Order: sequence, then structure tokens, then C-alpha cells
Amino acid sequence: MALLEVRTLSRSFGALWAVRNVSFSVQPGELVGLIGPNGAGKSTLYNLIAGALDPTSGEIVFNGRRVSGQKPYQAARGGIARTFQIPKPYRHLSVVDNVVVSALAHDSTVAAARTSAEAVLADVGLADYADAPVSILTTGLLKRLEVARALALKPSLVLFDEIMAGLTPSEVKSMTNLVAGLPARGITVIWVEHVLYAIMKTAQRIMVLHRGEMIADDTPEKVAADPVVIKAYLGEEMSLA
Amino acid sequence: MKAAATPTDRLRKRWRLLPERGTVSLFEIVLFAACAVLVAVRLPQHLQDVIILTYLWGGLALAWNIAGGYAGLISFGHAAFFGIGAYTSAILNVKVGLTPWIGMWLGGLLAAAAGTALALVCARLRGPFFILSTLAAAEVVRIGALNWATLTGGPEGLALLPVPSVLNMVFASKTTYAALMLGYLLAAYVFTKILEGSRFGFYMFAIRDDEDAASAAGVNPLLVRASAMGLSAFLSGVGGSLFAQYFLYLDPTHVISPELSFQFALLPALGGLGTAIGPVLGSFVITPLSEMLRSYMGDAVSGLHLAIYGGVVIAVMLYFPGGMAAALQHLAGRKRKAQ
Repeated sequence: MALLEVRTLSRSFGALWAVRNVSFSVQPGELVGLIGPNGAGKSTLYNLIAGALDPTSGEIVFNGRRVSGQKPYQAARGGIARTFQIPKPYRHLSVVDNVVVSALAHDSTVAAARTSAEAVLADVGLADYADAPVSILTTGLLKRLEVARALALKPSLVLFDEIMAGLTPSEVKSMTNLVAGLPARGITVIWVEHVLYAIMKTAQRIMVLHRGEMIADDTPEKVAADPVVIKAYLGEEMSLA
Repeated sequence: MKAAATPTDRLRKRWRLLPERGTVSLFEIVLFAACAVLVAVRLPQHLQDVIILTYLWGGLALAWNIAGGYAGLISFGHAAFFGIGAYTSAILNVKVGLTPWIGMWLGGLLAAAAGTALALVCARLRGPFFILSTLAAAEVVRIGALNWATLTGGPEGLALLPVPSVLNMVFASKTTYAALMLGYLLAAYVFTKILEGSRFGFYMFAIRDDEDAASAAGVNPLLVRASAMGLSAFLSGVGGSLFAQYFLYLDPTHVISPELSFQFALLPALGGLGTAIGPVLGSFVITPLSEMLRSYMGDAVSGLHLAIYGGVVIAVMLYFPGGMAAALQHLAGRKRKAQ
């Protein structure tokens, strides 16, 4: 059984269809890339799956249960975690306390949540910043904090939204390793990314959104060679060398 | 990379001199010990009045701070919760003969119900729109109290029997009132300290700082907002009951006034929003200042005391934008670097 099944999902804003007739499914343990030009509907699709937006039509089935129309906190508690493209830290809390909020979804005491949060921070390479205020974090570190907060929810599905943007090459490498290791820990990943070399190497499957519609859903090699995708997004010069 | 537990261990071992979230500091112990001494020593009556008010407003500032400081629900309508608490226990005492020792809890519960209802009704409002709705809601309560004269005495007010009686919570000695108000202040403070280290405390911070992120972390924003408002209103209602027992006279124009609502918000804002010590410091500096100015200068030049009061408020806001608590933390930070 698929972990996530999206069936003929659409969402309009006035006359604009941000997501139109999108269907796909994700199996447990998959690492799926989601790419497309700006405005293709990637963020809207995430907001629909995570409950931040209600669909205009179509449905979302997660773990065999119809979840379209649920609230974001219900999605989070049900096992769907997400990061935000523009980091949204709790700016008056320390780095570790930012993660504690998520960890409290599972841990029964604040002390236990702090222990879990510290473990997750070590995982994403933020252990040294645990007690620092979030105001001192660079963009790259804020992106890691987003990842830490999502993982602290112990989700079965995580939606990453451009977690590589603004990272140095070595940071990209360590983040890629972290993401690549998630399926083995029972976390299924959908990953929106503009840093293509990272996602093309790591994902088993790439889905391509263009103007709200799914124009490709295949292995990275086939997607990169697909003339429709090249025209819409990758550009004629794109190569995977 | 360090072992994950190290930074926290380091924090736990450090001796706390100044107030921080989740721990008790020397500063807090000394401050409240000094408060107790002020209750115990013999002071002139007018000074005792200042102390009583300072403790009472301090407790009410802490109550406001739960909604406004921790949950980010800035309210200019807390006088309504204060008034509901005051009138509930007073009316029950005068009309039914119920002791205020029980009536104040009922007043708190009624205020909590009103606070929760307000948060639910205004669930979609944010920022200035939420603030305006609290202001408007308090006006509804004030006008209601003015016009429901059979219950509240309307504009003529409601007087409590000024005969000392422990059962009726009326005391001859100001010292007893001072002790009562210190008890209220301490209870509100301890409650706040527990709250800020708790799961619910984290949920409030999260909702205040970023509601979208909090929702994505599994926090139900509506539930947290309604609960925070309920708790805050409950404490305000209990404070209102104590106020009624001290002044022994209530009238809607004074008890449910926007001025009072502004004061509940001003004290934490000056002392330090979203900290436990902030509202206490705010009241300890501003309440005596305002009372002294009024008693010494109120007759000299009309309005002069208010002008000076306003000047001090502006100076604090300009030079300590994070409030007095932030100024303290700044000092603490300097010390830490020196160590």
C-alpha cells in the first residue's frame, strides 16, 4: 500500500490554477524529488499535503486514510512533517528550544523532549549551537534548524522545501548524506530542490511540476532526458555530467 | 562535534544569579524576601497603601503577561476580566452572603470563561484587529455593568460592608491586606514560573513567535490561544476580587475602564514582556512612582504628576526597549563573558 496517494488534486486561487489535476503516489521508504520552475505549484502542493490549504477538488490519502482538509497540526501529529522554504524560527527561543516544541509531540515531559531535541541537533550538525539564540544563525544553519524541527516530529513522511538554498558546497554534501539516510530510518521523503545535482544523485524518482500540472514522474536519468522537461525547466544546456 | 548533552549540563551547573526561564535565582529569592519584610515592618499607612497596590498590580501584570507576553495575545480589555472577578465575588457576598474566600474562585472562573470565549470569537483576528476587539469587548462589559443596575448597582456603585471580618475578607489592619496581596503576587509568580517551563509554555512561545511553524509542529493554535486567554483572565478575575475586598466599593466606570486595561498592559511592557520577573519589576517601579507623584504633587499643579509619569514611561521605553528584565539580562550577559 502506498504511504501517500494524491488523486486528481486541484487548487485554484481565483482564476489561477496553482495545482491542477495532479495524481501520484509515494511508497514507504521512497526518496522522491519534486522539481519545477518558480510558480509551478510546488509550494501549493506541499501546503495541500500538510493541511495548510484545502484542496478545491481531489483527495489526499495518507496511510490508507483520507486526510484532505485536515488542519496542519493534525497532519503533523499524523506523521507528515514539513520544512518552510523561508525559515520560520521561533525567534525568541534558543536553537534547542525551537526543536523541543516539535519533540513535545512525542515526548511526555519537557526534559525528555530536550534530550530528543539535542539528539536531532547532533544529527543535523547543530549541536554546538544548542543554547544559542536563533538570531545568530546564518541562512544555512536556519535551513538545518528547519530540518531538525521536522525530524523531531518523528514523521513517517517529510516534505523538504529547498533545504539546500544558500548552503556552501560542503554543507550541501553533509545535508545530502543526511537526507539520503532517512529512508533507511523509516522516513519517506519528498524533496523540492533547485540544487539539482544534489537531488538528481540522491532521489530514486523525480516528479516535475509545470504550471500546476505534473509533466513527468520517472527516474532521474529519464527525467533529465525528457524533451518536455528540458523545454519547461532544465533548459537546452542542461547536462548531468 | 560535542556530545549532545554537554551544553545543557554546562548550563545546569552554572550558578544562577539573575532570573532565567525554568530556574529560581538568588535575585528572585532576595526580591520576594524583601517584599515579605516590607509587609512585616511597621510603616505609615500611606506607604502601606502603596505597597498593597504595588503587589496587587504586580500580580495583575503577571496575569496579563500570560496572554500578552507569552502567547502574544496583546489585550487592551483585561479590565473586563478584572471587573467580572470583582463584581462576581462582591455581588455573591452582598446578595447571597457567600464568603469572598469562595467567591473569588468563582469570579476567576467566570472571568476565565469570558476570556476563553473572547479568544474563540476572535480566533481569526491578529495584531491590531485582535487588540481592538479586546478593547471593544471590555466596553461591552462596562456598559453592561452600568445598565444592569439591579445586579451591579449601576453607576451608583456597589458597596461592601466595611466591618472587619475574616469570613467576609475585610480586615482592620493594612498589614493583613499587604500579606494577602503578596500572597496573590507570589501565587501568580510561581504559576508563571511553572508555566514557562512546561509543555504549554513552549506551545505559547511557539504560537507567539510563528503560528505557521507551530501548527506544522503539531500545536493546535486555537486551543493554545483560548487556554492562554482563559488562564490569564482567571488570574485577573481573582485579582479583581481581592481589589474589591480592599476598596470595598466598585463602580463600572473605574473598575472596567480602558485606563485600567492599559495599565495592566503597560506594567509588563515596561518591565519586560514574556518574562516572569518583568511584570513584577514593572509594577515595583511604576506603581510607587505613580502613587507618590499623585499624593505629593497631585494638588500642586494640576496634571503635573501625570506629565512626569508619562515622561518616565517614555524614558524607560526609549532606553530599555526590552524592559527592565532585558536590562538585567544584559548585565548578566556581561558577567558571563567576564567569567
